[in-house]
Amino acid sequence: MGAAVTYTESELVLGLKARNEKHFGYLYDHYSPALYGIALKVVNDETVAGDVLQEIFLKIWRGIERYDSDKGRLFTWMVNIARNTAIDTLRSKAHKMGQKASELGSNGLASDQLAIHPSVDHLGLVKVVEQLNKEQRVIIDLAYYKGCTQEEIAKILDIPLGTVKTRMRNAIIQLRNILKQM
Amino acid sequence: MDVQRYISSGIIENHVTGLLSEVESREVLSTMQQYPEVKAAADALQVDMERYIQLWATKPPAGIKRQIMERLHKTEADEPVVAESETPAETNEDTFSENTGLNISQLQIWQYSAAAAIVLLLGSIVMNVVSYSNSGSYQQQISSLQTEQSSLMAEKEALKEQLEFAHKEMGVMKDPSFKWTRMPGVGKHTGVVATVCWNPQSKETFILAQALPEPPVDKQYQLWAIVNGKPIDAGVFELGNKAHSVQKVKPVENAQVFAVTLEKKGGNPSPTLDQMFVAGKVAG
Repeated sequence: MGAAVTYTESELVLGLKARNEKHFGYLYDHYSPALYGIALKVVNDETVAGDVLQEIFLKIWRGIERYDSDKGRLFTWMVNIARNTAIDTLRSKAHKMGQKASELGSNGLASDQLAIHPSVDHLGLVKVVEQLNKEQRVIIDLAYYKGCTQEEIAKILDIPLGTVKTRMRNAIIQLRNILKQM
Repeated sequence: MDVQRYISSGIIENHVTGLLSEVESREVLSTMQQYPEVKAAADALQVDMERYIQLWATKPPAGIKRQIMERLHKTEADEPVVAESETPAETNEDTFSENTGLNISQLQIWQYSAAAAIVLLLGSIVMNVVSYSNSGSYQQQISSLQTEQSSLMAEKEALKEQLEFAHKEMGVMKDPSFKWTRMPGVGKHTGVVATVCWNPQSKETFILAQALPEPPVDKQYQLWAIVNGKPIDAGVFELGNKAHSVQKVKPVENAQVFAVTLEKKGGNPSPTLDQMFVAGKVAG
């Protein structure tokens, strides 16, 4: 974003493994919004999300040696780091404050977050959110962003445990249909 | 295995969204390795999920990048594993050389301290020896001074005695109750003179041997008080350095004549008459 040079993913990985700070700066400029978006959606707090984002990039910098391009794309690897870091923070916070259940139990979960954090791709998001019903949106967010187990989701949404996987599959299919139209 | 059925079972969706347990996820991953169709389906879903993520992308607050870059350097400095960077190596080297310098200077301090201690010890020993020998000479000085002092004391006592005696002598001479009897030489002892000084009241008697010859070593002069021809011993007296001073002799009750004879040392109960040197009649 705004950087004159562009790197291919393999160039970027090679630069990062060589401890090149220019490549790391480029990585941040290009991927920090997506990873910050994950952190924000998980912890739902800008300050905490900022701290989480720092942790994410430090983990990327330290762990780049372990990244294997044969096993997946760099972005997928970074997204997993971001999700795990943010969810870990959320769990330690929730554990401390007893926050998690009440927050997840509140009905206006996704729309609240939408109101607070305007997206880079706001229009696309509005479209997706409009076309997904609330239950579909919530089940994706609980699993993907909050790291909830099937049991937790069943409890929060007050549905039988056996139906969680089916509803998840339906929600994802609906999401992919919407994305195809975009 | 029916691949299409597996794909449409919903397990891939549950895997990508993180809903599966660890064991279930590992099964999916191994199936993906076995069946390219399963892997393709999972990858396609992954891409879609990442598109969904991108929809939520939000520009992070300014300053976070700078903070991360700062922590990056801090972490590198803290981590000794990251040895490619030159800065930690230099720091280590500096620390090492600094430590070495410190050790050397500490060693030198110890060496100097030890040398100083030895010098001080030697000095102390020398001073002790000197002091000890000095104390010996001081003791010698003290004893010689003590001797000197005691001799001076003795001299003083002697002088005091002499003074007292002179006073007495003077008193005797001044006192009008004393009777002076001059005793000239008898017979062949011409030119020989002695004087007796007698107080009839106090019975005190003194003799002054003005001109008596020195007696032989084994002999002494003896004074006699003669009353009605009968001599009474009045004691022996010295000559020598006391020859010219008044010497106290035995008290005399009564006397008509005084006489001095040469007797054996210590005196005789009765006078040896042929050895009478001087004699004099007491004035009435």
